[in-house]
This record gives sequence, C-alpha cells and structure tokens, in this order.
Amino acid sequence: MVADSGAASGPKPSSSVKLVLLGEAAVGKSSLVMRFVNNDFQENKEPTIGAAFLTQKCNLPTRTIKFEIWDTAGQERFASLAPMYYRNAQAALVVYDITKAASLTKAQHWVAELQRQASPGIVIALVGNKSDLAASPNNSGSSSSGGSGGALSDASTAGDDGDAASSTAVGDGDDGDEDEEGEGGDARKVATKVAKAYADEEGLLFFETSAKTGLNVAEVFTAIANAIPETSLKGPRGVGGQTHLGGGRQEDAARVNLTGGRDAAGPKEGCAC
Amino acid sequence: METLNDTDWDVLIVGTGLKQSLLALALSRSGKRVLHIDKNHYYGGAEAAFSLQEAEDWLKKVAEDIILNQTYTNISILQPSQEHSGTDASKLSFSRAYNLSLSPQIIYARSSLLPILVSSKVHRQLDFLAVGSWWVYSAKDGPNDTPGSEPSADRANSSQGKLVKVPSGREDIFADPSLDFKAKRALVKFLRFIVEFEDQPEVWEEHREKPFPVFLSEQFNFPAALQDPVISLTLSPSVPSRITTEFALRRIARHLRSIGMFGPGFGSVVPKWGGLSEISQVACRAGAVGGAVYVLGKGLVNPESINAPKYRPTGDTQKPSELKAYLQDGEAITTRWIVGLRNDLEPFYAQQHSNLEKHPDPGNSSTVCKSITIVSSALEPLFPALAEGAPQPAGAVVVFPSGSLALGEGSDQGEEIPPVYLLIHSGDTGECPTGQSVLYASVALGNERGFVLLEQAVKLLLRAINTEPTSTILWSLRYKQHTRIRPHWQSVSRENPSTSRQILEFSPSPPDLAFDDSTLDEVKESWQKILGDEAGEFMVFDDREGMGTDLDDNE
Repeated sequence: MVADSGAASGPKPSSSVKLVLLGEAAVGKSSLVMRFVNNDFQENKEPTIGAAFLTQKCNLPTRTIKFEIWDTAGQERFASLAPMYYRNAQAALVVYDITKAASLTKAQHWVAELQRQASPGIVIALVGNKSDLAASPNNSGSSSSGGSGGALSDASTAGDDGDAASSTAVGDGDDGDEDEEGEGGDARKVATKVAKAYADEEGLLFFETSAKTGLNVAEVFTAIANAIPETSLKGPRGVGGQTHLGGGRQEDAARVNLTGGRDAAGPKEGCAC
Repeated sequence: METLNDTDWDVLIVGTGLKQSLLALALSRSGKRVLHIDKNHYYGGAEAAFSLQEAEDWLKKVAEDIILNQTYTNISILQPSQEHSGTDASKLSFSRAYNLSLSPQIIYARSSLLPILVSSKVHRQLDFLAVGSWWVYSAKDGPNDTPGSEPSADRANSSQGKLVKVPSGREDIFADPSLDFKAKRALVKFLRFIVEFEDQPEVWEEHREKPFPVFLSEQFNFPAALQDPVISLTLSPSVPSRITTEFALRRIARHLRSIGMFGPGFGSVVPKWGGLSEISQVACRAGAVGGAVYVLGKGLVNPESINAPKYRPTGDTQKPSELKAYLQDGEAITTRWIVGLRNDLEPFYAQQHSNLEKHPDPGNSSTVCKSITIVSSALEPLFPALAEGAPQPAGAVVVFPSGSLALGEGSDQGEEIPPVYLLIHSGDTGECPTGQSVLYASVALGNERGFVLLEQAVKLLLRAINTEPTSTILWSLRYKQHTRIRPHWQSVSRENPSTSRQILEFSPSPPDLAFDDSTLDEVKESWQKILGDEAGEFMVFDDREGMGTDLDDNE
C-alpha cells in the first residue's frame, strides 16, 4: 500500500480505509471477514490464533474503498489491544453473537472504548452475527436503516444442522463450550429491537448478519464505505487536517518511500560530495 | 477466561520497548510459543508515546512507583493559562490530538533498522517523514539569515541570536553568503575527506583519541565559526573538547552518507504517530499475527512479595530447561527463555535470591534532562522545502552549541556547558495538530540546571523565529532520563548455571538523538540464541497469505 497509487481500478478515486474488528471471542469476527474477503465460510473454524491483516476492495458508484481489515483476533483477551489497532482507524466493526446476551454487553464496552480512544470521526458498525440461528422474525420488525430486517426474514434455522448442539459449532467455535439451550431451533438471546435501539442511541450503523449464509455481510461493508465522510478519505487516515486534496493518502507529500530509489541513488550521488 | 499457565511457553518477552518488540517481530514466523507482557498498560516501554492525558497518568504513576532505578524521574507538566481567543492552532487541542514521544530519535537513512522493516514487510504499516534542515543557534552578530525574520528587527534587538542553517552539501556551501572563500575551501576540503575518511588514516589516525576541534583546526584550518555547525552533525551530548576525532568522524560520515538515500536534501527520517513507539506497536502487531499472546498491565513479580507459593523444583514436574516465572496476579508460567530489560527482570532475579547470589548492580548511570514543548506555531521557517522532488520535511534539528547558553549567576564560571539539542516536529508527524509544533529538547546534565538550559533554549528559539502571531508555549513536560551504563549487553551468566543461559538481558536504550544500530545487534543475538539452528535470515519474511488479497469485492 505504499507504492501502488494509481494501480486501482480505472479512473475512480481509490482510498484506503483502516477498519478494526472487535468483539468477544467466538462471535464470528474472523468468519465475517472470511465471508467478505473470500466469500467463504468454515464450519467449526479454529479460534483465530494471533491477529490477522486482510484487505478487500469495495466498489462504490463514485469511488473505490480499499478496506485494510485488522482482525484483533483474540488479542483483546488480555487487555492488550494496542492503540495502533484502533488509532487512526476510520471504521470499526463491533460484533456480537445474537445467541449470547453477554456478547452484546462486551460489544457495548468496545463501543465505549472506541468512543474514548479512537479517532473522533470513526464510523462504528454494530453487528449481530449468527442470524441464521434465529428461528424466525421474532421480536422485532422495526429495524430499517441498518437493513437488519433482511436478516430476520431470510434466516435459516438451526434445524438445518440437526440438533441444537451442532448450532454451537457454527461461527468461530472459539473457546469451545458455549452453553446454548437451543429452545426449539431458536437460539436467539438478543432481541433485534434492543440492539437496534442501542445502536440508534449511540449513532452506530446496525446489522444482523450471518457469516454462514453470507446474509448482510457485504451490506455491512458497503454501508460502512458509504458512511466514511469524503473529507476523512483525503488526508492520511483522517487525522491531523492534512492540506492535500489529491486523493488517497498515497499522495501525502510528506511521506518518505523506503523502497523506491533505494538502489537507484547510490551512496556517492546522494552524498554531500 | 483462559489462563496463561496452561501453555508451556517457549519465550517470555518482558516489556514492549523497541528491542523486545523487534524480537517479537523476529520470532513472529518461528512457530515459537511467545508470551509478550508489559507491566504498563501501554506499548513502547521507555520509548512510549503519550497523549496529554496519558502523560498526566504517567507522571502520577511514576511518582507513586517505588521501583528503584527508574528510567524516568523528576517529571513535571506545565500548562500555562490559555487565552481563549485566536485560531485553533493558538489553543491546546484535545488530549488525543497529541502523540508525544518520550524517546524521540531520528533514524538515519543508512541505519540497518530500515532494511529490516522493509524485509519483514512491516514498513507497510508505518509512515516515515523526512527530517530536513539542521540549524545552529548563534548568539553572535553576523550576517543575518535567520529564517523568516526581518534584518531590521534582528538589529533592533541585539540580545537576539539567530539560527544558521547547516549546509548539507557543496551547493549549500557555495550559495552561503555568510561564508568567505577561505571558509568555503576548508569546508569543501573537509567534506571531500570525510566521505572516505577510513581510507585516509594518515590524516586522522594520530588524532583518533584527541579532541575533534583541535583536529579541525590543525588539519583543515577550520575557522572557529564553522566548527559549531560541523560538530552539531555528531549529535554528541558532550562538550566539544570531550568529543574524540574518531567518534566525530564516524558520526559526521553517518550523517553525510545518509543524505539523498530516500530523496534529495535529507538524510534521516522519523516514523509518523509518535516515533519509535509506533515501530514497537507495529512489531508487536506482527508478533500477534504470528501467534504471540500479548498481555498488558502485567509484569514479573517476586512470588514472595505477593505471598504466592514459592515454586520448588522437584525434578519431576519441571524439565531441566524450564524456567518458572511469576506474573503480577500470582500466575506462574513456565518458559524456556526470558528476555527483557534488567529493570523488568529484577523480580525474577529476586525470586531466585534465596539460592543465588544477588545479582550485582551493573554500574553507574548517566542522566539527561529532557523536555517536550508544544508551541502554537507551525514554525514554518524551520522547514524550508528541501529540493525538487523531495518530500516536505516534518522534522528539523536545532542545536544550541556548547557556550551559546549561559547559566547566569551562581554557576561555575570555568565550567563548560554541554550543547542543547532540539528536535522540532511539525503537525505532519501526527504528534500535534497542524499549525502547532512539538519541540523535543535534551541536554546531558543530570541536575536541575539542565532544565534551566532547556527552558532558555526553547525561549531563544521561539524569539529567533519571528512568527506572526508570536509563538506561545501551550504545554510542556520535563523529565530526567537515566541510563545505567553497561559495558556491553550480555546474557546473565553468573547465576544458576543450568538456566542462566536462557535469560537474555537487553541493555537500556541510551538517550541518543539518533537510532543506534547496535540496538539491532542485541535483538539479532538473542533471536539467534533462541532459535539456534532454526534461525534463517534475520527479519526476512515472505508476504503472508491473505495480505494484499485483491479479489474484486463481492457486493
């Protein structure tokens, strides 16, 4: 991403957006990103070891957004998230599991942390994952702006996988034992309207997704891309009020390129004599 | 919540300073089970970068700490009362608009750090900015070339010194109206010599250990007025009479040979967003991607101090090559290697105290007074454009040579005052908002008079650059940095002979103004010890899968 300015698709302006992924273990963070980046889903995925860094482009009508996705993947377990994980991030995806009430509480902690520590203009999306485990439109229907309604109408049932026990395997499968009772095929524990009300109150984008079926996954990223203010794309990472109006941060006139010209300019030419 | 003690760790890295973090990076593809902890709640250790609030918290924390041999002491923050008028730049911004580096260093283009950041691919997550012009403060009268100031204004105030730009090449020298022909000749001759000084031992060998100013006068007929600019390039904290010729030649050659490496007109860079701290974090990040587990807010402890059951080797449960270490909450973990700074390893030594000789103190410490000052101006005259095609500089160096500042009454008249260095960072560094600047000042004095000098230097600098409106100090932090001197880094060899080889101690980072490549030697040596025959090429990694995935999006 240092030297590839202009290599992007055609004449549309292309900008990089740093996005951090936060949420409790086993809510399906990595699965969401795998769905988005590779359109792929793994049952019984091993917990993500370490952290990961992935990129994916998102084409909007007027511009291309290249997401740099920082999957914190477990690093948050020991209160070790570096400021640089979310410093200068323009977007954050805070994920909870609709089948685990505690995971929404954890998500709310992350939102508070971001509001305290991250760049002031950061776009935060709250995402309730594993919507395929909800039986049917339950206690909501009022969701609109975030598009979570789709999650409810389309939700596949846990019954597809047989009994409730197998439903626990869906998603990350991190940390093994999550106790889900199944409740006749509807494992939902977080009502859509509750999460939606919270998201509205905090000014967050809101979606319910299924990394398993792919439902609403691309929509989340598109919505984030659309919500990134044009202005924050122009300066490097939207912080510090850069004066350059050229486009992406590749064109930052102050940046030194460590890889170009290293061999071209030999010691003698470069030297004072 | 999972616990840390159900893993047999291969390496426990203590502290997230630059060296430890680079080691984590070096080990990130090794498959070793790495646990990386820091007693602080922030990354970077002695190289940390702080927001205003974090700086306040740090001050309180250090004041409460009872740890001996702290790196930083005598911390204070000064925030002059603010006028509530004027532009945004004239006011202190919100806390997180600032990333102030405790240990700011420039990185020369020829430093071996940069190729390592490239070969390990982490440079992609870093931004580097150019350090442009070097200035020497001169209190003497002379032709005025103080940047941005009117000649008349300069003459009107006789007490006002000026800043003289250090020529960075032959064109600069010839274009400089303040130099007479003789001076230009001496300078050019010296510059020609220094490019390949190693090949001309006859010129300098006999001066090797002698004072550099004498060498300049004797061998190059250097006019006195030219000595300060040339000596400033050494970044030596000492008074000139104590700078040896060999040291100075190596330092000046390092400076000049770096110019032009990454673009015309500059020879050093600084990482954006808080300097070395950002490199630490990026390196830790790479360690995390490689599977290392990171825990902040947890250091090593002596189990006796927390009433934890003391571990006694029974021979059954502990493999001979395993070390047992206790973490802050009493958790005991096993590991094959422990790496860290001496300060951070102290509790581990104390834990072994009962059956081992007390580890001797490694010796004296040197102290430097430092200050960080946020000013309400971009100080643009210090950052002139370098050359066509060069990046806009974000850093500048200002040197107050030995003798240019005075301590006034009560000071020892015969005493030589060491030089004061200021690294000036613009808003482009991400360390302060656009329109403001951060001044990092340091002087190699251990007593309070160091702070007096720093304050004086900052004031004189602001006065010498007549900005409109006048630059004011919005916030400042001052502190002392202590570095315990150790001849050379070494693993602790005098302790328990069976395990002591597995404890690797890093030396504390010196308060240098430029990154010292020997830092990497320590990292590389410890990496080699840990990996043994498995060690491949140091810090040379392929792209990870998933990096740079460029599939079209799946909307």
